[in-house]
Amino acid sequence: MARILDVGCGRNKYPGALGVDRNPATDADLLCDLSRAPYPFRDASFDEIRAVHVVEHVEDVIRFMEEMHRLLRPGGRLYLVTPHYTDAGSFRDPTHRWHLNSFSFYYFTQPREYGFYSPVRFREQRLRVRLLKLWRWLGLEWWVNHSRTFRKFWEHYLCFIIRGKEIHFWFEAVKGAA
Amino acid sequence: MSTAGRRILDVGCGRGKYPGAIGIDRSRATQADVICDWALAYPFADSQFDEVRLIHVIEEVDDILATLAEVHRVARPGARVVIVTPHYTDHSSYCSPTHRWHLSSFSLWFFSDKPREYDYYAPAQFRERRVEVKLLRLWRWLGLEFLVNRFRWFRRFWEYYLCFVVRGKYITFELEVVK
Repeated sequence: MARILDVGCGRNKYPGALGVDRNPATDADLLCDLSRAPYPFRDASFDEIRAVHVVEHVEDVIRFMEEMHRLLRPGGRLYLVTPHYTDAGSFRDPTHRWHLNSFSFYYFTQPREYGFYSPVRFREQRLRVRLLKLWRWLGLEWWVNHSRTFRKFWEHYLCFIIRGKEIHFWFEAVKGAA
Repeated sequence: MSTAGRRILDVGCGRGKYPGAIGIDRSRATQADVICDWALAYPFADSQFDEVRLIHVIEEVDDILATLAEVHRVARPGARVVIVTPHYTDHSSYCSPTHRWHLSSFSLWFFSDKPREYDYYAPAQFRERRVEVKLLRLWRWLGLEFLVNRFRWFRRFWEYYLCFVVRGKYITFELEVVK
């Protein structure tokens, strides 16, 4: 059976997952402050980690991603969801420290540009941007998700008008001599 | 409005302390009556004030939840809390390198007593009495500020679809302390 960790599980813990959160009013199986790594698990404890609307709250994004990497087995999967920085939801929560875009995790996936910031590596398996309803209806979400060139153009030129909502990332932990 | 007999606390009063208020600030160069860190604990007993004002303060504190909990503690039940902060689309939100938080007109909704998605996040401590958005002059002249403040649904639509073009300036929140 896959070992799944739901980080910042809130009240919608993923079925079958072990939940951690810092708030006792959630479905957490274990309470811990997610800004204070390391979390109380051994290295490579999990096949999959889900971090849904969490990374925008933690004090140090790089430290958080390093901790995700430590907890995953080699080839383990990290599913991460966060608001796009043009979504009203990114600013509605007074505990959101970071406003991110679909290229924010290049630190970990494109070592040539930013690799010197952190030694850990992830492979971006899949990425999906969600746009506001009106833009989805007009087909723009499809374009953003089906062409990396268009996504780049959208991030640089369009996204203050054609606003984003959430970004979903699927990363694979790259470990060892790979 | 008369301030006679009402105890008012001006948190982070700077050099424009609210008339009749007790001012607290970090620096002696201000009009503060008490020097203390306005992000942390205030040297006052519980339920002391009829009104607490935080004008351009919450965007700078380390932890908004902790600061509002402290405001809640020193305010009496039913007290008025006035918070003014830049809208996240205003240039002033990015002008000061001490601004940690970029907020919208729904950012304090978490603390209100209405049924909410995330009520486990922050217990209902305040009732939202009034939210008023100021827009840049051009949009005010064109009547958009009126619409944003008149209709809650329009404010929502503005926050989601328009505000990076029709940009905001300040947001004023007026809350009532629930104890």
